[in-house]
Amino acid sequence: MATAAGAAHPWATSPSGKSTAGRQSTDDPRITLDRQVGAGLYEPIPPYPTRTEREGEFYSLGDGEMFLNVGPHHPATHGVLRLVLKLSGEQIVDVDPVLGYLHRGVEKICENSDYYHVIDQVDPLEYISSLFQEWAAVLSFEKLMDVRVPRRAEYIRVLSGELLRVASHTLYMGFLALDLGGLTPILYGFIERDEIVEMLAALTGARMLFNYYRIGGVNGDLNHEFMSRLGDWMSRAARQTEASAGLLNENEIFVRRTRGVGKMDRETALRFGVTGGNLRAAGVPFDVRRAHPYSVYPELEFNIPTRQEGDSLARYLIRVDEVRESIKIIDQCLHGMPDGPIMARLPRLLRPRPGRAWGACEGPRGMMGVYSISDGSDQPFRFRIHDPSFVNLQTVPTLLPGNLLADTMAIVASLDPVMGGIDK
Amino acid sequence: MDRSLKARLEARLGSQLRGSVYQRGDETEIRVDPGSVPEVLTVLHDSVDLHFEILADLAGVDTGEVMQVVYHLWSPMTSDWLRVIADGISREDPRTPSATFIWTGAEWLEREAYDMFGIVFEGNRDLRRIFMPPDYTSFPLRKDFLLPDDAARSPGAGVRHVERAHVPADLADDPAAGIRRAPVS
Repeated sequence: MATAAGAAHPWATSPSGKSTAGRQSTDDPRITLDRQVGAGLYEPIPPYPTRTEREGEFYSLGDGEMFLNVGPHHPATHGVLRLVLKLSGEQIVDVDPVLGYLHRGVEKICENSDYYHVIDQVDPLEYISSLFQEWAAVLSFEKLMDVRVPRRAEYIRVLSGELLRVASHTLYMGFLALDLGGLTPILYGFIERDEIVEMLAALTGARMLFNYYRIGGVNGDLNHEFMSRLGDWMSRAARQTEASAGLLNENEIFVRRTRGVGKMDRETALRFGVTGGNLRAAGVPFDVRRAHPYSVYPELEFNIPTRQEGDSLARYLIRVDEVRESIKIIDQCLHGMPDGPIMARLPRLLRPRPGRAWGACEGPRGMMGVYSISDGSDQPFRFRIHDPSFVNLQTVPTLLPGNLLADTMAIVASLDPVMGGIDK
Repeated sequence: MDRSLKARLEARLGSQLRGSVYQRGDETEIRVDPGSVPEVLTVLHDSVDLHFEILADLAGVDTGEVMQVVYHLWSPMTSDWLRVIADGISREDPRTPSATFIWTGAEWLEREAYDMFGIVFEGNRDLRRIFMPPDYTSFPLRKDFLLPDDAARSPGAGVRHVERAHVPADLADDPAAGIRRAPVS
């Protein structure tokens, strides 16, 4: 079991394999394995002196407390997230999220690739809704280069973006229920998502990593297959949404397990910089589409649903409302789709003049931002990605303490983190 | 572009601004000394006519000469994004005050800036690496951290003239130096 913080540890590397030192071990592998098992392979105590006061405080156990390591490979952590929980009985006392298992250094890679290449580098970050990450990047670059995007391209962006938002939210509802033990909604969620993803595959050529938005427009115009699939889906989308929502909204187990759990009040949410549905569930009507309009959103009619409760159930219900609003937006896009070009005329080699630009759009999880600096060359000098899941996940050490271990998943899943974006 | 924001910022911050307020498109940019960041952020957050309540982003920047910390803020009182640049942080010993006393959520963002640039945020209670392993010693997003396949270092550099633009800062005087030098392993 656990030892005091900073004590000499027989197994000198982190159990997660994040440490690089252990890989050069020349010990007999059998002995090493024996040591690992003997020392407790899943020991969460850091095998190095604690680095900060907070870390020291966390990794010293009080009376009757114990550590529990959730992840990095745990089906309910939505990726490779490791939560070190400090428990007293079944009650959570403190949490230390450990990130970085998926860190690929995308920002550095983007600083070493040219402006056109950046767009497909950022795709795998938010792999569930990758169009929004592209959108933030192209928004930032378009500001840097003073590019005017044709109206038809803006409409296509909104159309495809809102479709993906519906797909992302239906998947969210399914996964939230799955983490609480309900298997059915995820199956319905995947049916819905698969239809949308197939539709977008007809438009963009890919199912997940679309690489579709371009600086100054989009990669391809609407085609027959996409439109026929979309029409087919639209005829039953609203009904299907209500059906899948009905599975959960009136499910007593689901409601009981989420109501009043993981409450985040307005002030906490603002201080943490939480955005997206999680912020709106706490009563702040902040949505980048309205708060700082971009693209053609000012021309479209839709509401920003908000709720006051700030608990897991409110965060779920906000998503249901947002799906309804998205379907309204898709409908308006189809009716108002203008004719015209889908790309601005741009040179092959982009060399924006030196400057800085911040572009932000509203993704399914909150504000996606990209801050880019140009030094006049064909590669961004600095490419900063702001991911909403990263900020939203930061509230976990505040929301979890006081709850029971079983509620961990009800809270973490309701925040909707995507580890690909968090770890960059 | 919100012209009245410029006037309000000048009235409220006055002497703390370094240079003038710069506006372009839907962004307003101010530069301040790292030492005055706590006062400036407090004014921006608390003033009734500024009321920047959401910290949209906190980013570290290495310009090759100095370090910067860049804050993006959003307020319901203006249609602009506000960019606050804490300019002129030394590269040798980068230190700047933390913003966690206003925005608790700056904690992880500062941890990330520390992890990537080595910028020490004084007042952050939990400033440790967030992505890289604890025994890692470099700061990967600094401009003197070169990738093994960095175009400017590679033997093929100079074949495409565009790649010359990205000669690292330490070789900037002599662009040919990077071509002769063997790739960094």
